[in-house]
Amino acid sequence: MNLLVLMIALPLLAAFLLSIIDRASSFAARVIGPLVLLATAAIGLSVWSQLGDAPQAVQWGGFQAPLGITLYADQFGLLFALAMTIGTLLLWPRSTGNQLRSSSLALLLAGTGSGLALSGDLFNIYVFYELMTVVSYGLIASRGTSGSFASTLRYLVISGFGAALALAGIALVYQATGTLNLAQLAQVAPEKLNNLQGFAAFVLMLVGFGVKAELFPVNMWVPEVYATASSRVSALLAGVVSKLALLIIMRLLILVFHQPEALTVLLVLGILGVATGELAAWRARDLNRMLAFSSIGQLGVMFIALSIPGNAGIFAALAVAVHHLFLKPAMFLLAARWGGSIRRLCGAAKTSPVAAGLFVLLSLSLIGVPPLPGFWAKLLVIMPLLTLDQPLYYFAVFIILAAASLEANYLFRVVMKLYDKQPTAVPHKAHATADLATAVFLGGGLIAAVFMLVPLADRLDSIAAQATDVSTYIQTVAPQSLEGDVQ
Amino acid sequence: MRRFTAALFLIGLGVMIAAIYQHMDFSNTALNAGQAINSVAAQETGAANFVTSVVLAYRGIDTLLELTILFTAAMIGGMVLGKRRVDAPRDPDAGFILRTGADLLFPLLLVVGLYIILHGHLTPGGGFQGGVILASAFFLPLLARPGSSINQDVISIVEGLAGATFILIGLLAMSEGYEFLSPLFDKGELGALISAGSLPVLYLAVGIKVGSELAGLLAHLAEAEAVD
Amino acid sequence: MSMEFLDGNTILYSAAFGLMLIGIGGIVISNHLMRIIFGIALLEAGANLLLLLSTYHEGASAPIIVDGIIPAMMADPVPQALVLTAIVIGVGILALALSLAIRVQRAYGTLDMREVRLRLEQEICDEAGIEMPSSSEKPAEVIKTPVNSVVQQESGS
Repeated sequence: MNLLVLMIALPLLAAFLLSIIDRASSFAARVIGPLVLLATAAIGLSVWSQLGDAPQAVQWGGFQAPLGITLYADQFGLLFALAMTIGTLLLWPRSTGNQLRSSSLALLLAGTGSGLALSGDLFNIYVFYELMTVVSYGLIASRGTSGSFASTLRYLVISGFGAALALAGIALVYQATGTLNLAQLAQVAPEKLNNLQGFAAFVLMLVGFGVKAELFPVNMWVPEVYATASSRVSALLAGVVSKLALLIIMRLLILVFHQPEALTVLLVLGILGVATGELAAWRARDLNRMLAFSSIGQLGVMFIALSIPGNAGIFAALAVAVHHLFLKPAMFLLAARWGGSIRRLCGAAKTSPVAAGLFVLLSLSLIGVPPLPGFWAKLLVIMPLLTLDQPLYYFAVFIILAAASLEANYLFRVVMKLYDKQPTAVPHKAHATADLATAVFLGGGLIAAVFMLVPLADRLDSIAAQATDVSTYIQTVAPQSLEGDVQ
Repeated sequence: MRRFTAALFLIGLGVMIAAIYQHMDFSNTALNAGQAINSVAAQETGAANFVTSVVLAYRGIDTLLELTILFTAAMIGGMVLGKRRVDAPRDPDAGFILRTGADLLFPLLLVVGLYIILHGHLTPGGGFQGGVILASAFFLPLLARPGSSINQDVISIVEGLAGATFILIGLLAMSEGYEFLSPLFDKGELGALISAGSLPVLYLAVGIKVGSELAGLLAHLAEAEAVD
Repeated sequence: MSMEFLDGNTILYSAAFGLMLIGIGGIVISNHLMRIIFGIALLEAGANLLLLLSTYHEGASAPIIVDGIIPAMMADPVPQALVLTAIVIGVGILALALSLAIRVQRAYGTLDMREVRLRLEQEICDEAGIEMPSSSEKPAEVIKTPVNSVVQQESGS
């Protein structure tokens, strides 16, 4: 018995019962969601503290792997499960008119995100991913404007397309190996998936799961959704949910797909993502979409990092992901009041000096100005790229550096407007206290990271090392061999 | 022009798929998790229908999640479509045949739906199939008389409780010292109606949940006002 | 020799891949949202069939013990359970897509993907207080497009 499953089961239970609880007491319905998430976060933290170097595997229903479904908790998965739970708590959606449903959806998002990060079964990952997708449709549409409905529908079309492709990829994997358990796939993949069929399955799943990770050809939904959803929902989607999709792709790369062509595909798509995302962000004239496009660019950097073979690539991608995890939600929260045209931002720093100062800090970290964490994260990507000594990798370095100068250009444009003396016709509204407090908290985390760079890097390095330790994964799950069961 | 490129793209995709198919290996289908399940499922779960064993026991969490997807979809459907205005025009009642047929079929569909749910661990069928039949039982009267409406409050209580039951059975296993959703209770005789421990209870919860979600979703869609 | 290509596997797999291709074709070629949604449904059906075929054995019996008789060769129960899950997920998402389509049709008066995109762009720009970037398409005309014209345009083009 392991309490870890409660991180998934309790939020689902609370979400099911929320509307019934609301009938009895609307106050209870308001507080129960955050309370449940606090409890699950505490469970996650207690498991984290006893985890150490030994990952844990739990079998749902107590059935031996690979027959049952595995829950695999290493520091890597648990980090993102905790990020999802705590992130949802911090960015608890507030919606006028739909509060009850929004709370249910937030609970579901936290539970599913945790499950997705910890799942050790390919089809189970697909189901978790689909649930997370449906929940995000609800969160986007909960704003209730016609624009949010239209962008949800367009997102649904792309997402549905991707999910079906991922399902086809899973079918190809099961056809070739006869198992869905990631540990067993790790055992048999070198023999059975190192071929054209395995590569096809990888590409299908990359496109499928890449929709949420804002991968280059399937990210048309990003600017529309982030511009029409409420700022808290945008912060959740761009900050946390996209990283979970990235985590799936990382897991698949580490455990199952080892083809060199897979890395090349990632590299090319990553470069295209950075280039298109940053160019579009540079052209954008409203803050929400600028941030959305810049998020595509940042995810592109993570894909480039993933294309570096071995431990260094996972480490670099993890560093950029964690940096982005703190930074993007804070920026979207600040954009809650400044989301409109950049031209309208003139003199906003006067109304809310704290928010403006924070925005400058976040921008500097996003561009990668030393000594802020963003600089070190980018350095971790660029250094191994240079040692690989291949033209395409050099080109990736060039693209990342060029993107940084573009970022500097468009973010300074915003900062200049913020501190512009010229008064605007419409007075600026100050930020909501909760939004600003959360943003300051996240920004404070970034500043704190500057002073703890070495221990932080060591910790991330050990997380990456544990994530890439395939033999420990197999030993911990210990799937029974299928060889003896031939009839 | 766009259609031409799309057609070219599709032809290319088809050629690629054919190439992949040519390289596929069909010789190792016997070595898989499913065959291993076939050889142990009867002892481990006590259900005569091994698909049920997979759905509720070996992959029970998948089933819980798909129920949650239906729940979420129904909830969002209600949120998106919103409440109908009181004075919105409604379709007239259907003809005599549909109305009488709906009245006649309602109890029959209920019985068939419950039968299929309760025999899910023995014969093909189960909570999903039976649940869909239950949903159609409640939706058919709505087709016959569009003026009437399904009580969404009752549906939201039923769906919440059915889903909670599924999770609570899972948590009950944890309180007994097993893992979440481990099979509970006496397994009984293989093939008997009362057998397979907690699986039929879970399937009943699934059936009621699927029935109420789909009925709710269909009712929301039926309630949606036409463009005026 | 030529008959070898037409064994059971080839026919079934062609059906699965064919369904997927038709679905992708529907998504790529058509502009009408209803057709795109149906394209996704077909694509899903193809993927489900592919999953079901993954361990298909000709002549295997259903994995159910009837009257205590254990069949000699039973089909793999896992893909059947997976497809059951995938179908239910597909139904939920399809219903959600239709609900959203009803609302979009009510708000914008059209389900043509290009027009919906333009209207959405317009709405985002209005909310942000910026001018819509000039495009080759004619937004002024789009806004006035009557509800029923979508079907005519679809069949006409």
